[in-house]
Amino acid sequence: MGVIKLNSYVLIIRGSDRFKFVDGLSTNKVEGDCCTVFTTTTAKVIDMVDVIDMGEFLALVGHNHFKNDVLEHMHKRILSQDIQIGDASQNNSVYLSTTDIEVTDSVTKRNTWRGWVLVTPNSELINETMDLQDFNEYRVMNMIPHQGYEITSNNHPLACGLGHLVHEAKGCYIGQEILARMRSRGRQGKQLVRLENPVENATTLGKTHSLAIVRTSI
Amino acid sequence: MDCNTCDTAPAIVLNKPEVVNVTLTITTKAKEMLDSAFEGDMSHALLVGVLSGGCSGYMYDLQIVESTDQDCQELSVDGFRVLVPNASSHLLDGIEIDYVDRLMGGGFKINNPNAASSCGCGESFS
Repeated sequence: MGVIKLNSYVLIIRGSDRFKFVDGLSTNKVEGDCCTVFTTTTAKVIDMVDVIDMGEFLALVGHNHFKNDVLEHMHKRILSQDIQIGDASQNNSVYLSTTDIEVTDSVTKRNTWRGWVLVTPNSELINETMDLQDFNEYRVMNMIPHQGYEITSNNHPLACGLGHLVHEAKGCYIGQEILARMRSRGRQGKQLVRLENPVENATTLGKTHSLAIVRTSI
Repeated sequence: MDCNTCDTAPAIVLNKPEVVNVTLTITTKAKEMLDSAFEGDMSHALLVGVLSGGCSGYMYDLQIVESTDQDCQELSVDGFRVLVPNASSHLLDGIEIDYVDRLMGGGFKINNPNAASSCGCGESFS
């Protein structure tokens, strides 16, 4: 469908403990490129981030409105670990492309479950070919939750369509006990659904269908 | 991504937690178990630290060490040399080290007045 610029931050995580650190604070197994979710002790979402392994450092790409919450979450848990955090948000722009497009070497491109995430230096901007309405239509069609719509601090990952980012066997992380209990007991309370319009309490409105988070017996 | 830019990306200024002069206690049962673990070699020390992670955000870390690279404060508690990393001192002041003798979930336990909650297995806290 096209390319849209996301309102994203880019945090740089350096240090020998970078994988262990991010892995211990989020829902997915972090061993390289992946997408994972930072959650609170009550398993509510702090932010979903794309983890990009750049070799010497990790880049975390998340939603700008949640940056301070993520930073606070990480800061107080560095303790004695070898971790340095930098902020490259002002020097880079983040785009999401629904198709694989040609980019120059200076653009970091990763194929993710939402589409292709492109991190570009500000000197090399990419032409936006999709507006917010198109992007929302793409999300509704593919049941892709987004920060500020479905992915909010009111929801846990299983409720807002991020269950596939909750690793079942990785061991302890913040919020794991609650998420594991929900899964083992088959009670996640709410789930993301796509319904034909009109949809009451829709989280994302589409032309014919919309996304909503509804109570469920599952 | 502009990696030259990333290299010079401004480091985020961290407000490091205040270093607290830690006091801690060891229960009689825990002393017995530590005596057994040390086997009389009091040149070693008990390192009581905190790691990030676990279900509740922080995990206790107990080790018997000769020395450590970490910036620690050294205490003498009931004849034991105890090392507490300064980076986690604010989370460990006032703790009691206990030993619970049971088949499942037994072992050393930390009773921590700073912990708002603990996870089910008792190894992590927030």
